[in-house]
Amino acid sequence: MSKQVIIVPCSGIGKTYGTVTREAAYVVAEDLRPETTTIVPLSLLVLGDEEARAAVQDAQVITMDGCSLACATLNVRQAGGVVAKDFTVLDVFRRNKALKPKGISELNEGGQALARALADEVAQTTDELIAGGVDHA
Amino acid sequence: MPSLPKRKVGIVACSGEELPAGSVTRLAALKVLEELRPSETVTICLPLFLAGGEGDRAFAKFYPTIAVDGCAKRCAARATELYSNTPAASILVDDILAQHNLPAPQGLRRLTPESQPVVDALAAAIAAEVDHLMAVRWSRTDGAILEAAPAAQEAVSTSACACGSGIPVTTVQIAGRAVQIMALEPILELAYNQGLRANGTAALPDEILQTVQVYNTVPAGEETQYAQALDIAWHAYCKQREGQSNG
Repeated sequence: MSKQVIIVPCSGIGKTYGTVTREAAYVVAEDLRPETTTIVPLSLLVLGDEEARAAVQDAQVITMDGCSLACATLNVRQAGGVVAKDFTVLDVFRRNKALKPKGISELNEGGQALARALADEVAQTTDELIAGGVDHA
Repeated sequence: MPSLPKRKVGIVACSGEELPAGSVTRLAALKVLEELRPSETVTICLPLFLAGGEGDRAFAKFYPTIAVDGCAKRCAARATELYSNTPAASILVDDILAQHNLPAPQGLRRLTPESQPVVDALAAAIAAEVDHLMAVRWSRTDGAILEAAPAAQEAVSTSACACGSGIPVTTVQIAGRAVQIMALEPILELAYNQGLRANGTAALPDEILQTVQVYNTVPAGEETQYAQALDIAWHAYCKQREGQSNG
């Protein structure tokens, strides 16, 4: 298995929570855990891109979904990947009710903070997965 | 008989996270949806094609879509065609760059200010394609443009689904209550164009109820009542079509 943990956000285009997942994915992959995480675009999995499918089949995957339809989680599973941990924005919001997200093209301050809170949880899970003794040969 | 709603155009953006152009497609699509053509467009969520979004899949089967892609893999265009219907139009960011002699966009999480003209040019191209698709006749049966002539003036209006997808909903009476059936008229049109007819007291063709069940939940135990209501709508539709062809 790959040493990298794959991050798959839903990036839903019609809802604020979708943008929160997208922002959180960038926070993890660019700021918090650039050495150990990689984003796989969901659009490639939807299309059935072989490289993307291989990536999720060969690594531990964390998904982030903006609504209960759980597009990211379902698409990773349909691509043959195993979801090590799935996050939903609503769950994180319930734990951080002061962070009220608004905006789709651009998140407001609350949305940015919520994305950061989600990213922190994803980063922690990434550390746990890396330290979990999984054979990453 | 219910009539068709004002048509809308669906926009499917790849939103790819790994390329700046993916962010460009997302921002351009949102600009069209929120600013340039809010009344004529809806979003189609690409991942929902696989994750079970019936409304999204149904929309692309019956109405024109514009696929907007950030790279030559054309995820949005190909996935739309794979799971729903061939997009009416497909736009690639690279083509927009070439047409306007613009530099490649930069920045993933935040596009650079220099990339904004690319978003604007792409949004303008999408909006122009929306205008084109709104001005031509669209076959919901074939999922293609019928001809380039302007559409006839909308003489009727009806409700569209509350989900915002623009799919027509028909209200029928079932067991004394009003029930909305999604995409009923396009389904009846499809059946009619395939040669099915309402013949006297003949039973409702199985295909109609089966297709209705693809886009609607028929509660267990109510199949007979639904079939009766659909049969009334089917007879009325056939009568209307025959009247048109005779008149």
